[in-house]
Amino acid sequence: MTFDDLRPDMDAASLDVTRTADATTERPALTIMVTPRPIPPTSSNEPLSPERLRQIDRVFFGPFFREKYGAAGDKALQNSRIRYYGPVQPTNNAGELVGRRYVHEFDIMTGLTRGWHETLDRMGNIRQIRPERNDGIKRHYQFDSNGRYKGSW
Amino acid sequence: MEINLQAVRRVFEDVLNGSMLREQADRWAHAVIQEEETAVVTYSPPRERERIWAGVMYLYGIDTMTGPNAYLHTDDDISRGMIASIGAVGDEVADDNSVGSRATVATLHRKQVGPHH
Repeated sequence: MTFDDLRPDMDAASLDVTRTADATTERPALTIMVTPRPIPPTSSNEPLSPERLRQIDRVFFGPFFREKYGAAGDKALQNSRIRYYGPVQPTNNAGELVGRRYVHEFDIMTGLTRGWHETLDRMGNIRQIRPERNDGIKRHYQFDSNGRYKGSW
Repeated sequence: MEINLQAVRRVFEDVLNGSMLREQADRWAHAVIQEEETAVVTYSPPRERERIWAGVMYLYGIDTMTGPNAYLHTDDDISRGMIASIGAVGDEVADDNSVGSRATVATLHRKQVGPHH
């Protein structure tokens, strides 16, 4: 399967052209103008829909990322990115905080990945993130229960 | 890189008995993950891949803090996390090579413990 297999519009256009050509062969007396529908370019600048993104992920990238990082699910974003969520590693230590999880994000258009650790409260709000930086420096960014940025350290 | 269940368990145990910092365990796990991204990690035995990976992913971020000098996880959390991810002691298969796993961990220690720790 190729990338183009995931473009139903293109398949439909090709199918229509083939059928019309057959009709021309069977009935040569008729003049039939074939106007193929435009095929969407593969390098379209239009963002992929989350549904299409998921299709692509399932076919091409899922086995690489979902198995490793997406044990607790994944989410296709509007910006050609897919986030894979690891399981929440629980804590009984931190009051309103329930645990942490690792999130891995993959941009299917650029092939770039990035990851961070999230700390969640009991309501499921993200209260802290710690990005994985190339230089190895660990910095925690904290948020209140309404998602407002509080500060970093 | 070859990694087995005992190597992962030993990192957990070293953290719990205080002979390894959580920051070091996190960087050890990060190194394994980086190697995995380049597809050169061998899981021994292969059938334990899932448990080994679960253990590595627990260790990755084990030093998460809730504030300066305050870890998110208690030792109790980590003990439970170890059992949940790689299983209880004695679950390893008989052909694991503990000497080899120790050497692997030691090598990674040397590589990963940098000046920022």
